[in-house]
Amino acid sequence: MQRDVGSLPLAPALRARLVAAGFQTAQEVLETGPCGLSKDSLLSPEFWLQCTTALGSFENLIVSSRNIEIGISKEEALEALQVVRQECHSDATRTAGAPGTSRKCTALELLEQEQAQGFIITFCSALDNVLGGGVQLTKITEICGAPGVGKTQLCMQLAVDVQIPECFGGLAGEAVFIDTEGSFMVDRVVDIAAACVQHCQLIAEAHQEEDHLKALETFSLESILSHIYYFRCRDYTELLAEVYLLPDFLSEHSKVRLVVIDGIAFPFRHDFEDLSLRTRLLNGLAQQLIIIANDHKAAVVLTNQMTTRIGQSQSTLVPALGESWGHAATVRLIFHWDNNQRLATLYKSPSQKESTIPYHITPHGFRDVQPPAVTQNPEGTEMNPRKRLRREEEK
Amino acid sequence: MAAKKLRRARLSQELCERLSRHQITTCQDFLCLSLLDLMKVTGQSYGNVQKLLCKVSLACAPKMQTAYEMKVRRAVNPSSAFLSTSLHGLDKVLHGGVPCGSLTEITSPPGCGKTQFCIMMSVLATLPISMGGLNGAVIYIDTESAFSAERLVEIAGNRFPAYFDSDEKLFSMTCSVYLYRELTCGSVLKRIKSLEEEIISKKVKLIIIDSVASVVRKEFDTKLQGNLTERSNFLARGASLLKYLAEEFSIPVILTNQITTRLSNGPAIQADLVSPADDLSLSEVLDSSLQSHPLVRLPKNRLESSRILLEICLAGASGGRKRESGCVTAALGNTWSHSVNTRLILQYHDLPTRQIRVAKSPVAPFSTFFYTIEKSGFVLQGDPILKVTGGIKQK
Repeated sequence: MQRDVGSLPLAPALRARLVAAGFQTAQEVLETGPCGLSKDSLLSPEFWLQCTTALGSFENLIVSSRNIEIGISKEEALEALQVVRQECHSDATRTAGAPGTSRKCTALELLEQEQAQGFIITFCSALDNVLGGGVQLTKITEICGAPGVGKTQLCMQLAVDVQIPECFGGLAGEAVFIDTEGSFMVDRVVDIAAACVQHCQLIAEAHQEEDHLKALETFSLESILSHIYYFRCRDYTELLAEVYLLPDFLSEHSKVRLVVIDGIAFPFRHDFEDLSLRTRLLNGLAQQLIIIANDHKAAVVLTNQMTTRIGQSQSTLVPALGESWGHAATVRLIFHWDNNQRLATLYKSPSQKESTIPYHITPHGFRDVQPPAVTQNPEGTEMNPRKRLRREEEK
Repeated sequence: MAAKKLRRARLSQELCERLSRHQITTCQDFLCLSLLDLMKVTGQSYGNVQKLLCKVSLACAPKMQTAYEMKVRRAVNPSSAFLSTSLHGLDKVLHGGVPCGSLTEITSPPGCGKTQFCIMMSVLATLPISMGGLNGAVIYIDTESAFSAERLVEIAGNRFPAYFDSDEKLFSMTCSVYLYRELTCGSVLKRIKSLEEEIISKKVKLIIIDSVASVVRKEFDTKLQGNLTERSNFLARGASLLKYLAEEFSIPVILTNQITTRLSNGPAIQADLVSPADDLSLSEVLDSSLQSHPLVRLPKNRLESSRILLEICLAGASGGRKRESGCVTAALGNTWSHSVNTRLILQYHDLPTRQIRVAKSPVAPFSTFFYTIEKSGFVLQGDPILKVTGGIKQK
């Protein structure tokens, strides 16, 4: 109620008039009696008639004879009052700490939430271990790497893996794939999806459980492909537009658990003379993506390019888009080469240690380099189908 | 899409007029502003501005398609997804040939056969679909004046003797190859921008630019300050225009590149590489000082002369200065490597055999093939000679 009039989300012109009239808090706007206001004679009586009728909180209503028009129509006035009232109401509930509208909770609740949350596995157990189980939901993960190292391959793999049914250890979700570089190949996704279905079929055959077989009926190549929603953005305007529309899209398709933006760097790296505009747009994008990730419990995966930074004596490869973009992602993976081996380094993570692991890209998709040592997993819970998934695959 | 006028985004007339007073006429301008700026400029409340944002975003956001729809569309028209290179082994590895709708780059040291490959692909694109071609015209942008019409006819006549059995057929084939000689970066960019209308009017099915590197390296000396960013801007703009054309019309785009030597110490070299296949020095390679050798500038339209040339160069190189250490990779930098989707590298092996390597491809692993250049163009070793489809007599 003590909220400053200048901060109310009203139309700027109206706001300016209220401020010029001397109103400082929302309370004053709602409570100033018509007498006091007509003495100030800056707003028309019709406007206050609307106020009081809407609020219904005043018995006496004295219409001043002095009637100076300032040109606010009745509809505008009513709208303004509704906005003010709504803002004050939501402020009030927030301070009162009503459950559901407040955003605070204890760390214990968060811990329980995090543990109950699933991960999106990558089919490369070394990478899953390094990430602490897989790609986390409600977080932004960024994958940087030189061209041709496998970033798009991993994105396509994740878009398939998010759809694995729950009884096999997956999330049974859907995926949104926003492509800015044109590197999405349907044929490749078909290969990856076929390998994944085959994998699950092997598990189902080995264990012969009811729910496994039932899940397999709906987990087919066709259903996997139908649940990958593909958008091709040609420039940064289309990307911005798409991210603005994404919350509505995700509300309609509530099963989406993964949003991939393949190539967040590409549309921003050329033709941008105004670097400060670019930084602002990128920051805005990062904020919107964080909100999307949290509200819809989805994982956001971005791929970034590498750029050459010219130092004094030598040049190094660093992730593109500048230093400030480095703060946008919660988890950062860097893919690079070492002779003939592809390596993935966990560069930034709030909970996991920095480490480097090798990986492979096979015709079936993203995989480990060699079978992981099965005996080195003492805490492998026996009934965890996810662990079984990896062991089976190395046979 | 970005340049779409706000009027067409179904905003009200007075709002459009008000915005144009602030120089905001296109969707791009609208979406680049922050919410507060938008409130100021439109004079609307917060909630209204968000609704306006949704409206404008809807006007320029891309359409959604599921991966399944894409696959079905591909399946309906399989022949239009690739341009077969008529090199059987290479086609198999690339899942059909040079992919349509994306950029393919051919890189090699001088004299390995880039222009020969381009000329061969021009012939292939004009063939009817039953023979593996695209039955369309070819736009050939030549920056080195290396195109030889004589060679075009020679390859056509020798590779498909049964099809090009009459002069009219050869004549009509040559009529569908449109050659443009551009000698500066600016004119190349202008030409690319004008291609959209030409593609529609002439039914073009293949765009070749031979070569991007020569014109860029002539104009931009990266040792000078500021040139590096200008060069990247030019390349990025060109790449995005070409990508747009490739995807919009579903045609392949072939570009040629040169090689460069990166001289630096140890670890930094590895970081700069796109992929191990890109490091030409891992196999036999010419010293890149040959590129400045005066003899190399001679037109290579006879096999004999290029072979002699090579021997002279080799003699000159090994006799004189000692070989500098460094790695030899594709020119034009990292950003360009991100923009192309497929990269093929041609190299010398033992004369006259050369090798062609798939260095970057979303569907193919690293593979190497050996070939020779004959009268009929490229001939892969181990390939059954002139295996063509459609009932043509096999040699």
